[in-house]
Amino acid sequence: MTNSQSPTATPVSRRLLPIAGATLAALLLVVIAGSGGNSDAGTAGPAPATVTVTGPLCDQLPAGSEPGNPNSLAGQPADQALQWIPVLTTFEAAVRATGLAAELTAPTGVTILAPTDDAFAAKFSRTNLDDMLLNDTATLRGLLRDHVVSGALPVAELVAAGSATTVAGTSLTVTAHGGGARVDAHADTVCADYQAANARIHVINEVLGTLPTTAGGEDDHPAH
Amino acid sequence: MLCVPSHPSCLEIPLRYRRTTAGVFSALLAVTLAATAQPAQATTAAQPQAEPNQVQGLTVVQGDGYATLAWTPVDGATDYQIERTPVGDDDAATGASVTVGVWRPNRQINNSEPTFADAGFAPGNRFQWRVRARFGSTVQPYSTPVSDTTRDHWGDPAVPGQSLRTQWETTLGAQYTNDVNEYAYTAAIDERSDRVRVVEIGRTLQDRPINMFVIGYPTPPATAEAVAATNPLVVNCNVHGNEPGDREACLIMARQLAFTDDATTLGLLSKTTMLIVPTINGDGRAANSRGNSTGQDLNRDYSLIRQPETQAFVEMVRDYRPIASYDGHEYGNANTGDLPMLPPRHQNVAQGIFDESQDMIEGHMYTQGAEDGWWACPYGCTGANVGLGEETILRNTLGLKNVVNSLLELRSSGGPTRPDEGNTANNRRRKTYSALWTFHQFLAYHGANVGDITKARAEAITFQSANTGRIVFRGSRPIEAYPAPHPGDTPPPLDAPGENQILDQPPCAYKLTEEQYHGARTDGPDGQQTTVAQRLAAHGWKVIKVAGGYLVPLSQPERGLVPLLLDGQAAEGLVAAERIAPTLTGTHNGPLTVSGVACLAGATVRGPIKVQRGATLIVNGGSVNGPVDASAAAGFVLTASTVNGPVNVTGATGPVLLVGNRISGPVNVVNNAGGAPLVAGNTVNGPLSCTGNAATPVNLEVANSVSGPRFNQCARL
Repeated sequence: MTNSQSPTATPVSRRLLPIAGATLAALLLVVIAGSGGNSDAGTAGPAPATVTVTGPLCDQLPAGSEPGNPNSLAGQPADQALQWIPVLTTFEAAVRATGLAAELTAPTGVTILAPTDDAFAAKFSRTNLDDMLLNDTATLRGLLRDHVVSGALPVAELVAAGSATTVAGTSLTVTAHGGGARVDAHADTVCADYQAANARIHVINEVLGTLPTTAGGEDDHPAH
Repeated sequence: MLCVPSHPSCLEIPLRYRRTTAGVFSALLAVTLAATAQPAQATTAAQPQAEPNQVQGLTVVQGDGYATLAWTPVDGATDYQIERTPVGDDDAATGASVTVGVWRPNRQINNSEPTFADAGFAPGNRFQWRVRARFGSTVQPYSTPVSDTTRDHWGDPAVPGQSLRTQWETTLGAQYTNDVNEYAYTAAIDERSDRVRVVEIGRTLQDRPINMFVIGYPTPPATAEAVAATNPLVVNCNVHGNEPGDREACLIMARQLAFTDDATTLGLLSKTTMLIVPTINGDGRAANSRGNSTGQDLNRDYSLIRQPETQAFVEMVRDYRPIASYDGHEYGNANTGDLPMLPPRHQNVAQGIFDESQDMIEGHMYTQGAEDGWWACPYGCTGANVGLGEETILRNTLGLKNVVNSLLELRSSGGPTRPDEGNTANNRRRKTYSALWTFHQFLAYHGANVGDITKARAEAITFQSANTGRIVFRGSRPIEAYPAPHPGDTPPPLDAPGENQILDQPPCAYKLTEEQYHGARTDGPDGQQTTVAQRLAAHGWKVIKVAGGYLVPLSQPERGLVPLLLDGQAAEGLVAAERIAPTLTGTHNGPLTVSGVACLAGATVRGPIKVQRGATLIVNGGSVNGPVDASAAAGFVLTASTVNGPVNVTGATGPVLLVGNRISGPVNVVNNAGGAPLVAGNTVNGPLSCTGNAATPVNLEVANSVSGPRFNQCARL
């Protein structure tokens, strides 16, 4: 049906993005096609990669043939791969808010130490996080760059090196811990060795960097 | 599971706010929604004899995204554990058994028939369930298992329209539906279903459309005014961008309503119109932030409407006039029930609106939750200091707009009673499908109780318009605790108003200066600030232009909200306007001629009233012996009064409002140039005639009782 008579009605075809209906429909189909998990479906290419992720949280994340399984992310740009790891919604939103995608998809490769949503919630109050996402993206961008290391490094190589320097210039100690790594003496990998195009993604359980902790008050879970 | 009127379990349920017949009816109606599902039962033949304290009688019934387990209680059990195992078609296990639920006695109102809604699994898979009792920490033997195949994502993939899926569904919960895919999905439903019209009710600050599904059967009424006449209900799905669970439920429900063949649902949609606003805060959703793009928490802005998102919603309420509402959220406390809910509690909300909202929650949702295994509870649920009386919160704002409504929270994490939700997808599915259950129950409740809701609303509009009783600036009605164990055993704090938050003698009106009314504001986003005049217009309030300013009478349907924005004592007001006291409260013998502004509160006039050109008359709760005649008045407000004689309102330049009066004589509303005259809830002993008014008079669905004929523009009032 079309809409018209209501005084507040305006055509739904007025949209934020200048995308024609056909393109929108195509996008929807892409999403459906993508549900098989392989973003490269339809393109001729090498046999699917076999990616093995390790850590206690991996059991809680998409696996096997589920959408977002590690194999399906292997060929994707890092910023898009992050959208499929459901415990990284805060980190992923922060990447979009700060325009960090270009840095994460550099052909020279990156390692992303991505804190979980729980880690962000334990570190920042909701108001603080909102303020960074919406207003203070410079601070947020600095925080994210404390979590990015040049070169796509498996967790074993990080451990072997014993330290890493972030693109922000900070130095992180890396030690072996429970089959994965402990970074900066406090953050543990909880699902390591996701592969994306030119990138490794290691999910960690604490936020790095030097920003003050603001969580712990009533504001963490605002009412209503 | 079926609650039939003759069954004693139905009658034992303590329903404080419930009228028995309506309650039973709504229970029956809701049951029919799941009537196609037959319970799978544990096969008892060839089973070994029951062990001591073994759970017996386990059954499972499938819902959309959940499975309701029910069993016979074990004497002495302190709680129960629910175990789920993935199985193949041959019922052989294909994965590990997991404890997915812990049933506790405070889950439901009737411990004699325990139920648990298992959710979080991927829809369409087959499982086996077992339940065992615990005595303290001592586990008892598991029940005989039951196996069943769960319902797949709703809709036949081979049927156009039904085959649509959201991004969240196709990714099995790994991704939420993003803005672009929401608009594509919305447009696809709009295009494929005659039952659906998608209306853009506004734009976010970043220019994202705020869409609303308008759903009716066979087609939705064509205009907002026509929708309002069907007593519509609304779900506001996503005010906080980082709480997306309800929004996914709304998108699924829109598809169900658009394409279902279910006769019960179509019957409901043939009598009303369902409004679904999936994403009022599209910018916050895209940013994963709580607030909008300025960081403003929109659920602290529904009275002040500083932001375009809340303004759009409030204008929608003004135009479409929903009589009932749910407002979707997620809540961070892991120890609450599945579905914390709360009515409008602000003490200025009419008693009947509060009571009916409580009936919806404590009468219907608690009862149906016990049937289907979902744990509703009063928001707070653990005694947390939340769920108070701020009128800036939609729950309270809508109550003050005479809308029966509830907050809905989805418990963010599984917590101790849903221990298998470390998996993000499981957690997201449980939240969304519990919201979907709630919104369907909301539609069922509305359908079964529309008579009670409209009655409560009519009484509320009449009560508010009468401007009687004290004003409370902040403070809540109590939510009484039930004896434990019960879902309602731990309500939110009392939140009674302090002495300095009460105004015992309400003013007649507030007077705003030109600067207060039209002056530029600094609150609101840069470049999009609105004036008080624009905001009061968005609320739909009557404002009278008088010498030296603008008069906002309290005697109008949203009277409880007026002082909260315009009084200097308000907790979060817009302006500190001048309180205008009544000019006459006693008895006046003889004719009364009004020039300037006259406000009669509980006055007795023994004679006719003549309102002169450009003057304003406000009468609340008095009596007039003689004709009331106003020609070319600036404003005319007559509420809760008795008039022995005709009432003529002709050529007014401003608002005309007649609510809840008893008038012996003809009533003429003619050639008035202000907004639509409000003529509601009057008893007229004589004819009612309306002609030549610039806007057709309305009654907000509060009928007048007219002994004579109704003419022209008032023919249907």
